[in-house]
Order: sequence, then C-alpha cells, then structure tokens
Amino acid sequence: MLNLISFSSSAAGALGQLSLLGALLFCLAGLGLAVLGGVCRDARLTEAARRATWAVFALTTLGTLVLLGALLRDDFSVRYVAEHSMRASPTWIKVTGLWGALEGSILLWAWLLAGFTFILSLTLRRDALRPWALATMFVSLLFFVGVCATVASPFTPLAAVPTDGRGPNPALQNHWMMAVHPVLLYLGFVGLSVPFAYAVAALVTGRLSDHWVVVTRRWTLVAWTFLTAAIVAGGWWSYETLGWGGYWAWDPVENASFIPWLLTTAFLHSIQIQERRGLMRSWNVWLIVLAYASTVLGTFLNRSGIVQSVHAFAGGPVGPVFLGFLALLLVLGTLLAAWRAPHLRDEAELPGVLSREGAFLAGNWLFVVFAVMVLVGTLFPTFVEAAQGRRDASVGPAFYNAFAIPLGLGLLLLMGVGPLLPWRRADGQGLWRALRPLLAAGLGAAALAFALGVRHPGVLTTLALSAYNLLGLGLLTVRAARQAGGLAHTLRAQPRRYGAYLAHIGLVVVALGLAYSGTYRRDAQATLNLNRPVPLLAERLELTGLTTETRSDGRSVVARVRIDGQPYRARLNTYVQGGNTPFPAPAVRYSLTGDTYLVVTAADPGGQWASVRLIESPLVSWLWWGTLLICLGASVTLVNPVRAARPAAARLAPATD
Amino acid sequence: MTAPLSPLPRARQRRRSPWPAVLGVTALVGLVGAIAFSNLNKSLEYFVTPTEYQQQRADLEGRPIRIGGLVQNAQYDPQTLQLRFVVSDGGASFPVQYTGAVSDLFKDNQGVVVRGQFQGGTFHASDLVVKHSEEYRVPETQAELKDMLKTTP
Repeated sequence: MLNLISFSSSAAGALGQLSLLGALLFCLAGLGLAVLGGVCRDARLTEAARRATWAVFALTTLGTLVLLGALLRDDFSVRYVAEHSMRASPTWIKVTGLWGALEGSILLWAWLLAGFTFILSLTLRRDALRPWALATMFVSLLFFVGVCATVASPFTPLAAVPTDGRGPNPALQNHWMMAVHPVLLYLGFVGLSVPFAYAVAALVTGRLSDHWVVVTRRWTLVAWTFLTAAIVAGGWWSYETLGWGGYWAWDPVENASFIPWLLTTAFLHSIQIQERRGLMRSWNVWLIVLAYASTVLGTFLNRSGIVQSVHAFAGGPVGPVFLGFLALLLVLGTLLAAWRAPHLRDEAELPGVLSREGAFLAGNWLFVVFAVMVLVGTLFPTFVEAAQGRRDASVGPAFYNAFAIPLGLGLLLLMGVGPLLPWRRADGQGLWRALRPLLAAGLGAAALAFALGVRHPGVLTTLALSAYNLLGLGLLTVRAARQAGGLAHTLRAQPRRYGAYLAHIGLVVVALGLAYSGTYRRDAQATLNLNRPVPLLAERLELTGLTTETRSDGRSVVARVRIDGQPYRARLNTYVQGGNTPFPAPAVRYSLTGDTYLVVTAADPGGQWASVRLIESPLVSWLWWGTLLICLGASVTLVNPVRAARPAAARLAPATD
Repeated sequence: MTAPLSPLPRARQRRRSPWPAVLGVTALVGLVGAIAFSNLNKSLEYFVTPTEYQQQRADLEGRPIRIGGLVQNAQYDPQTLQLRFVVSDGGASFPVQYTGAVSDLFKDNQGVVVRGQFQGGTFHASDLVVKHSEEYRVPETQAELKDMLKTTP
C-alpha cells in the first residue's frame, strides 16, 4: 500500500524518504512534549519541544535539498523526477520543478511551514501561550510532513529507471512568473498558521486578553502581503501566458486563494478593534480559524477533483486527506471556542455605528459576505451535481461580478469613511463637516468624467469613490503633518497609520485598473498575410516575418508584426513533452494608459500567414503598480515608530488616531 | 513591538439589546441569499453531450451551455476565421458555428468542448477548447466520452 521506504532502487529516494520520516518522528515528539509542557506547566518540556522544531526544520530542509539535487542531476530513479522533469529543460525550470507538481508543492509547503515554525520558536515569549502555540504548529506540521512522507511522497522510487523523464507541465514553464507565484502563495498560506496557532493557544490557556492579537498583527501582515502579491502574480501569469488578455476568471483555483485573502483582510482590521477597544474577541478567534481553514479548503478543492477547473489537478488520495484536516481544524476551532465561550462573551458592547470600530465592523461584514459568496459560487456546481445529478455544470463570471462589484464599491466607500472617524463615537456634525469636501471631490470627479464621455455607472462610481478616498487620505495627512510640525515627524511617529494609507492608495489604484480594464477592453481577431497591412481596432497591423526557432525543449514560431509602425514579436511555443499543443506567449506593450496585447493563435507552416488576436485594455498596468503600493504600504506598517519628545497632550489630539 | 497607544477607555461592560444586530445580519444574509440564488440559476452553465441536449432541448435552448463531443466535417477558412463543424457523440449531432482561429490540431474525430448557445438547430460557439490526447480512440459510451473530455492534457 504505502511504499514507505525501499533502499534497493534509489539512493536519493531513500535518503529523502528517511529525512521526511525523521522529521515526522520529531513532529510527533515535539507535539507530545509541547502538550505535556502546557499541561504540566513545565518549562523544560516546552524548551525541548522548541528545540524539536529545529530538528524538523533541519530534516525537511535536507529532504527538500535531496529532491532539488535529484532534479538537477536528472536522477530518474525518483518517480517525481521521472514524471515531472527531463534532461532538456533549462536549469531554472528544473529548480521550479520542485513545486511544479503535487508532491513537490506539498513538500515545499511543509518546508516553509517548518521554516516559519523555526522563526516562531526564536521569537516566542516565555509565557503561558508558548507551549500551546508550539503544539498547534506541530499539529499543522504533523499533517503536512505526514502527507509528504506517506500518501504524497515525492521520493517513491521507480523500479525501472527511464533514460529521460516526462518533463514538466508546459503551461507552467511558459513564463518566469510561475516560478514565483506558488512560492509567494505558500508563504502567504503558511504565514497564516502562526496567527492561528496563537489564537488556539489563547483559547486553550484562556488568556484571551489582547496580547495574542498584538503579537499576531505582524505575522498576519507578513502573510497577508505575500498572499496579496501571490494572487496578483497569478493574475499576471494568466495575463501573460494564457493568451486571452484577461487576468482573472473566477476559476476555482483563483477563488481558493482569494477567500483566505478576504478573510485575512477582515482579520487585519478587526484585530485593531480588539487592540484599541477590547471588543470583537470571539469574532477575531473565529475569523482566523476560518481564514486558516480556508487555505486548506482551497488545496482540497483543487486536488480532489470535486470542482472542475482549468487547472484543478487530480491528486489521488490527497483530496480526502486534506478534507479530513479541514474538518479537524474546524471541529477543533469550534470546540475550543465553544468551551471558552464564557470568556469570549464578556464584552457584549457593540461598537457604535458612527465610529472607527463601527466602520471596521461593517467592512468586516462585507469581507465575510464576499468570502461566503465566492465560496458558494465555487461549490455550487458540486451542489447541483449532488442535487440534480447533472455533471460538470459551471458558474460563469457573470454570477461573481453581480456581487463582487457592489461589494467592492461598498468596501471602497467604507475605506474612505473609516480613517475619518474617531474611535468610540463621532458626533454627526463633525463627521458631516469632514465628509463634505470628500463628497464634493467624488461628485466633481464623476461629473468631470461624465463630461469627458464616461457613461458606465460602475466606472463613474469607482472614479467618484477613488477621488473621495484620495482626497480624504490627503487631507488627514496634511492636517496631521501640521499638528506634528512637519510631514517627516508624523510619518516617523505613525508608520502604522501611513503604511495603511499607502496600502489604501494602492487599493484605489487597483480598483481603477479593474474598473477600466474590465469595462473598456476591446478585442478583435484577424488573419494577417505576409506584408499586407490589415486594419483592426483602429490600428494598422502588418505581418513582417514568420520564422521558427528551435529550443532545447521545443520549438517557437515567432511572428513579427508591426502595429502602427511599432514592432511586436509574439510567439507560439511548443514543448517536447506537450506534443503539438501550442502555448502562446503574447507580445504586450505596457503603458500607464493601456496595454496593447497581441497573441498569435495559429500560424501557417509555410510561413505565409498568421492568425492573431489583438486586445486593447486600458489601465491594466495599474493593477501591478497598485499592488506594489499595497505591499510597500504593508511593509511600512511593520516599521517601529519613532516617538518625538512632545507633550503628551498633543499626542492625544482627538479624531486623528 | 508596537507603538504605545494613546490610552483609550476600554469598552464598558454594558449589555445592549442584541436585536438590532441580529435583525441587520438576518436582512443582509437574506438579501445576499436572494441575489445569489436568483443569479446562480441564471448563470449556471451546464455541460451536455449532443444526446443529452436532444433530451433536454426545451430547458436548454438559448441559454449558455457547454457541449462536448467529437468533431466531424470540420471546414475552416483561415483567411476569414470562419469555422463550421458538426459535434456528435454517435447518438445525436448538431452543427456548430465559430468565428476565430483554430490550430491545426483541430481535426475530425477529435474530442471537443465548445461554449456558447443554441439558436434554432445551430450551436453558436463563443469559444472552444480542443482536447487532444496522443493515444486517441473513439469513446464507446456517454460516460467514457465525458471522461475523455475531462482529461486535460
């Protein structure tokens, strides 16, 4: 059944498998020690558990290096290498092969988790939370290392060693972004295990005071930043390689990364309510449990084959195993929260409607509803199959857009109001005074756009809300700078606030990019004959050359096209292991106002004509730049504040913090 | 770790009636549910084989579906990008129209999945996914056909 170890056929396989089994043993030992240390309140046991994390990290690192070595040495006695790598691939492709398929990606996940646990073991304070936070990390580690060592081991040997491997999935080697996106995504997913561990520790020890929230803020922010970057990198990969000129298709795989993002974003905001006011304790616990569980859910959905997706991989027994872990997390979280309910319920005051925490809470609701809707859309085909017996139904983008656009606009609205409101309660008059210039700016922007010919209600609303957000953040910054006696002072004293402002500005930029590129995208197809210009989308296209190049791992048809005199080189790549399937590599000319995107869809083997698709979408680049701003802003919030020596009274100025 | 915070008063232990919150949440969930389900049924795209479509024609005509089967009588003009073929599963077959480039992998007896809708007896495809496996054989049953169409390369 489980070929756990076999020395006969593959040295690398045996070494890798041994290191994983060793890591598994240390996980078990560490879990036992940590729980004992927690129950007996014995610091020595906890210390031993802490050191077990180092062993787990060392052994998983060894396992990862063994697999990497096998990939680079073309050691086809290891099944994973034989199935997902080949001699002809360039070196960087061999390295990315480490996470290019199921077994390797779970090994990477386990290794990153061990790495995070190692870092956590160095930063954990010596308090009552320590053993339980470690124990929770060990539960996650036990699962991932266990899956790696048993049902999805990358080290199962092959009895008959082939001369060459089957090669990587061509779709994944078509673009360098694919080397980055999975790693970022796993860093995000794995990073969420730490706040989850703290939440569980807080529940177990009953120390639901606000310490755990303060500690987890940084961890959560780091994970969230990686997750944000990963989702956008995935969109960019889709844009640059799939040749449809879009970046988001509401595919189950995309949704699986988006649901944790929504819940984590909500959590980042709601922990501030707990930090500042001591409210929302149970909400926060639930939120982080659900966010962490949703990362596992996504993996389960994509590996189990229960949802049809462009890139759902069937992974054999891995799906059910993940479902079991998901159930365990949810049951564990629910039981713990129910057991601690009296502690969690003690702050029954609801935030005032007109207050910073009120705005955060409303935003939280929108995020949670958003996440639930995305989940419903993702699972609905499965329900239909269960209820009506129809197989393989799918929910189109129209369903998602119907709620994503209003919810997104609602979030933009709240995003502008939140920073204006003071904690606790605002007086209606003051708020109205603060809102007036912003509403004026929003209406002004919409009116200007209308005068310039924008008629789409969604775009007009996005523009209005963007102007109102930007002006609001600008005014707040100017006012704070005046009070503090200079912009540099206030930035140094409040990196958290201004980092958040920067991230919000980035989000506004992304929202504008989404609205414009989603609404005003134009595309057209035509066949170009050599040296005969064709008008398309108000441009002049001319095919000036069509050649075939041979690479080590396949061939590329290169079409040279002039669009309004500008040269473009679009490719159609075929890969040795992909048969005759062409993978387009579009030629994209990026600019801040809009992209020109040219894909070759078919080419004449005789070199006389090529069929192309031309896509013009405005403001697509704003997505990438906006994301950069978001990630920068998130990094700024991690900077430690420098407090200037100033009278305390000035620091307590109302309505600015 | 974090900035020393200005000393805000902790929330007071005061019990407010939970009803407004409960009502608000119920209304929100109800609204979301209503939007979701009215929308879901409209935007749900079924996957059928030609034989299944023939049986459910009354329900499915005019709404967006995906239809899967084997390609027959493919006629393609690369200059005008006009493609016409017949999609068939041995039991029933329907003519399909599509405008757009197809690669030279698009051949008779290939498995294909097309997205679009029926207008009258003709299927107007908005996009198509050509499936191709190197070891190709004609599937015998509906279930086999569906399995074949599902296995992406």
